[in-house]
Amino acid sequence: MIKIGIIIDKYHLQKKSLKLIDYLSSIAKISLYLEEEYLIDYSNFNFNEDIFFIKAKGDLILNLIKLIERETDIPVINPSRGIWLAINRFLNSTLLRQSGIRVPNFALNTKGILPPFNDYIIKNIIDQKNYAFKAQIKKINGYLKVADKRALDEVNGEKAKYTYLYYQEFIKSKWEYKVYCIGDDLFYYKQLPLLVNFDKMKTRTIIKKIPELTEMACAATEAIGLKISSIDFLKSKDGNFFLTDINSSPNFNYIKNGPKIIGDYLIKQAKN
Amino acid sequence: MKIGILSKRTGNFTGKIKLYLEKNGHAVNIYTANNLCINDALLVNDFYILKSKHLFYLYAGYFLEANNVPVIPSTGISYRHKNRIESYFSIKNTNLLLPNVFMGTIDTLKVQLKKNDLPLISKPIFGSGSKGVKIINSFYDFNDIDEKSLYLEKFIEGTHYLVYFIANEICICEKIPLANEHGKVKIIHSDGEIEEYIMKWKNKHNLLFGHLDLVRDNNTDKLYVVDAGTFPEFSNWKRGNPVSKVCNLILDRYQQIKNKTE
Repeated sequence: MIKIGIIIDKYHLQKKSLKLIDYLSSIAKISLYLEEEYLIDYSNFNFNEDIFFIKAKGDLILNLIKLIERETDIPVINPSRGIWLAINRFLNSTLLRQSGIRVPNFALNTKGILPPFNDYIIKNIIDQKNYAFKAQIKKINGYLKVADKRALDEVNGEKAKYTYLYYQEFIKSKWEYKVYCIGDDLFYYKQLPLLVNFDKMKTRTIIKKIPELTEMACAATEAIGLKISSIDFLKSKDGNFFLTDINSSPNFNYIKNGPKIIGDYLIKQAKN
Repeated sequence: MKIGILSKRTGNFTGKIKLYLEKNGHAVNIYTANNLCINDALLVNDFYILKSKHLFYLYAGYFLEANNVPVIPSTGISYRHKNRIESYFSIKNTNLLLPNVFMGTIDTLKVQLKKNDLPLISKPIFGSGSKGVKIINSFYDFNDIDEKSLYLEKFIEGTHYLVYFIANEICICEKIPLANEHGKVKIIHSDGEIEEYIMKWKNKHNLLFGHLDLVRDNNTDKLYVVDAGTFPEFSNWKRGNPVSKVCNLILDRYQQIKNKTE
């Protein structure tokens, strides 16, 4: 029986992964590595799994994956580099643009210095914790200035972590497009953008494959190094798609039979 | 040439580099946390010197390299030596000895570490030198720590060294345990094993200059690497002026990169 290691935190275990674990338990031997309970000992380890699946993105998780990657030949989905790039907005914007993928203009500026574009959205620097986007919206001289509250708190709050902000040019789009990528299988959806409807999931619908999104999504996962991801796109007035977010830990429960699709994919990717 | 320096300070070694390069006819701008904006406006310089390794400057380095502007020392090597876990694997892959390392949440560490794992030393995962470093002598010491998780190294009781290198020149300083680079040191004129460690490290990573912190274990006499850095202040360098040496190595490296791409 194939042995699957699941590296996860309590939040993802309780809220997002029970169906997957239930399914996998029927076809594989599961071992759980819980971020809150696992001691990483870099000189004393013994991994005998055939594959690892990662469902979290905290520092301990990333550093446990590095140990597995450097000391064993066990496949890890997703790898540490892919997760690190996905959670670092500025790094993935830079790399995606370098790879020829259309992303909105972006800048990383010292606090107090505005970016060289008028409509913008301020997003958090590293998207690592399990909390949701909280929008603060202003319109100044006809230009839209949107900020995620947690991004501002990380610069202005009591426990400020950064002295700089990540700005992404705001793309006005009727719909937000979401593509889930599980290996070579892609699943396409559209929904109203969060700023239009805060309950955007209620507006989500399945759509047919859009070749341009397929091309961009495949190029992006290749560049970042993700095997499982979800990618957000906006479509500008002149009809161009822009990749606005890439997520290394998507909620696959939103896909029909998502847990089974993920489980079967992991079995296929396992060693031997 | 137009040269940018990515640095958290404008004075100290950075200021001296700027002066030296300007005296030699170059136009130099220092980018600190007060004026750094990472966008196409940065692409005006011929190359950059990456003095500080805080994440903001590393982001700038990655952006510049993605846009074919050389960064010296390279962003990748600066990141790998700043991040403790990356540094751990770099040291291990150079076949140098290093202390045992543990990571976990405070609760996990308290429950799962054994008494003989102590004493330990807690260090920020992203850092170098002595800043934020704390010795854990007993499990009670975990109660004073306001972090959710920790990076811990086995604390080696022994003689502590700060060892600089610039090209093939090495300066060995014996220092007080956990003191920073600027503290009082005793110069050691020669130590074959330390010199061998330095040359292995330098050659493996193709480094122009840098430093290693080493500890010789009182009980076993074994030599451990406990910290690495790509760009120290050279406060205790005692072998002539480090500024001109470092600047000339950087200018040579830039020429090599330029010649390769032409």
